[in-house]
Amino acid sequence: MSTPRITSSMISRSTLADLNDVATRITDTQRKMSTGKQLTRPSDDPFAVGRALGLHTEVDGLVQYQRNSADGESWTAASDTALGTLTDIAQRGRELLVRGANGTATAGERAVVADEIDQLIEAAKQTANSQQGGRSLFAGTATDVKPYAAGSDVYAGDGGDVVRSIGPGVAVVVNVRASDILGSGGGDGKMLSVLRDVSAHLRGGTSADQAALGGGDIAAVDRSIDDLLGARAHIGAVANRLSAADDRLAELEGGARELLSKTEDADMASTLIDYSMQQSVYQSALKAGAGIVQSSLLDFLR
Amino acid sequence: MGLHTSLRGLLAEQRALDVTSHNVANANTQGYSRQEAQLQATDALALPTGGQLGTGIDVTAYKRIRDSFLDLQYRAQSMQVGAGTTRADGLSQAELRLAEPGDNGIAARLSSFWSSWADLANAPDSGAAKQALIENARTLASSVNALDSGLAGVSTQSADELTAITATGGELQQIGKELAGLNGAIRDTERVGGQPNDLLDRRDVLLDRLSQLAQVSVADNGAGSIRVTVGGAGAPLVDGSALTWPPPAMTSPGGKLGALMDLSSPTGTIASYRGDLANFAQALTTQVNAVYNPAAGVDFLAYNAGTATLTVNPAVTAANVRAGGGAAGDNSAALALSELRGRSGGPDDLYSRLVTRIGTEVADARRGEQNATALSESIEDRRQSTAGVSLDEEMTNLIRFQRGYQAAARAMTTTDTLLDTLINRTGRVGL
Repeated sequence: MSTPRITSSMISRSTLADLNDVATRITDTQRKMSTGKQLTRPSDDPFAVGRALGLHTEVDGLVQYQRNSADGESWTAASDTALGTLTDIAQRGRELLVRGANGTATAGERAVVADEIDQLIEAAKQTANSQQGGRSLFAGTATDVKPYAAGSDVYAGDGGDVVRSIGPGVAVVVNVRASDILGSGGGDGKMLSVLRDVSAHLRGGTSADQAALGGGDIAAVDRSIDDLLGARAHIGAVANRLSAADDRLAELEGGARELLSKTEDADMASTLIDYSMQQSVYQSALKAGAGIVQSSLLDFLR
Repeated sequence: MGLHTSLRGLLAEQRALDVTSHNVANANTQGYSRQEAQLQATDALALPTGGQLGTGIDVTAYKRIRDSFLDLQYRAQSMQVGAGTTRADGLSQAELRLAEPGDNGIAARLSSFWSSWADLANAPDSGAAKQALIENARTLASSVNALDSGLAGVSTQSADELTAITATGGELQQIGKELAGLNGAIRDTERVGGQPNDLLDRRDVLLDRLSQLAQVSVADNGAGSIRVTVGGAGAPLVDGSALTWPPPAMTSPGGKLGALMDLSSPTGTIASYRGDLANFAQALTTQVNAVYNPAAGVDFLAYNAGTATLTVNPAVTAANVRAGGGAAGDNSAALALSELRGRSGGPDDLYSRLVTRIGTEVADARRGEQNATALSESIEDRRQSTAGVSLDEEMTNLIRFQRGYQAAARAMTTTDTLLDTLINRTGRVGL
């Protein structure tokens, strides 16, 4: 059998099979065009789909880290404002101290100054009780508790760190505890106890009081101011770190999204070219099929 | 003498025309093998003067043109097509249940679950964050359970299809019955010297269909009857005109039945997907609980391996879910849980591996199906090239035999004219 016999059913069957084949490919391309995705099922390219799933996880993680970081930034911004107020209070306390320490001031004048210092202490406690979104800023992790209750200088918060995660395994402490800057319960050389001492010395009026006002108290108030400045610098550094992390995370997210798009999205230009090529193949297959299947020797016999 | 020779010619050409008509009529009949009238000169008349005088022609047989070797090849391939198509369809169903890549798949749900923990870490005392976490965890659990029952559904479907084919009254018994019947009919026809071409075609079509279902081996019993063994069974399904029912146990079914058995088997492919999914759910539960509840108190997730269901522990509610240890702002647990996202060897990894595995196996199955189909088509082409009806050829034959008939008729007319001359015009002198 040198020349294979070509029978009618062979022609129609192979024409049909070819048409089916082209039609399947056109459907695939159409699906790519209408979804804009190169991968619509895992079997399209199993490893690319695996990679796409991984990239989705990465992108979602990066978005979440940015959200965490933004939350941390709002926390540090609120803390910074409160610390600024506290610094102003301490500065005001120092001014009053200097005025009260003046040897020419009468006992009555000193009492007035002492009253104002008492007010400053209350203001400082109130500021330390600041909240952000209903959570105490300076109470450690006891965010539902105000650090200082009315009429008490004892710190009511805990020693916990408020932590925000800004990357895999990267946790940033965004809080400052009131106990570290204002102190707890007195006698610890922190701002509240220092101001209480100053107030007492102003009211005391003994020569020892006078000496303390002129000497140790000023140094102690300066140390409190330094504590506050130190805390502000720390919070500022944390804020900087968060905002830098934000930028970096956004960049990483952009990169991951680009990679994801390359993995997952259809290249429209080449998809369109594929489509028009397949379309023309389909047309010619139809034409050829119509021509061959229709004609036979029957057409020429009479 | 001459008249008879011409008559034989006329009759033979007419038979040949009949066969051609039969071929044309069956050009599109499935499994039809073209036939050919085999013409042979009849025995010559030895003349007393020496030499032989031809006596015309006769049809000796109606030959069925078919290559049984191609049938064997076709059936071997057809079994692969049956297996490949069924497997690819079944696995594609499993793949569809994954709904990946997409926003409704488990990967996306898992991502929302981790994000909920991170949101809770940012607001450890927020009732809204806790509510969202519980809702997202429940959605995740129900997606995992839905996928598992979806996969189980694919298994069940395959088992149902398998039963439908192999049960009494199913396709297998139908084919077996018909084969046994045809065996009897063919034997009877051949016994009286007939040529049951169309019955043989019908039997071959049945064997083709049977080979899609399972591996088929055919042995000749002689006298036109065959013995058909299915799926490597120890005993034949059909032996002559006897059908063994229920069918002898198959050791290596192959074909569609083999694929269905694998899909529905508790140790088959779908079952192993469910196993991977169970591992994922188990690992998710273990890893989440280990972080959420290191001291073996109240777990967050619960996985029941027996019923393969993942649930959020009903004891955990938005009111009592914890972000950390004690203080309202302690987010240590939530933070650590959010860090499980994308961890190597973690739940995301296990799930992604399952998706890749299913994707790869579906792609392999599709490729296998395509290869088997292409091969079986090329064998079918070769089979059709031998056995198929070519209309062009039949038209040519039609002309050939018509002309032959015309010529034989003309020869008969000539003889008739000769006789006319002899009978009617001879010896009429003076009339």
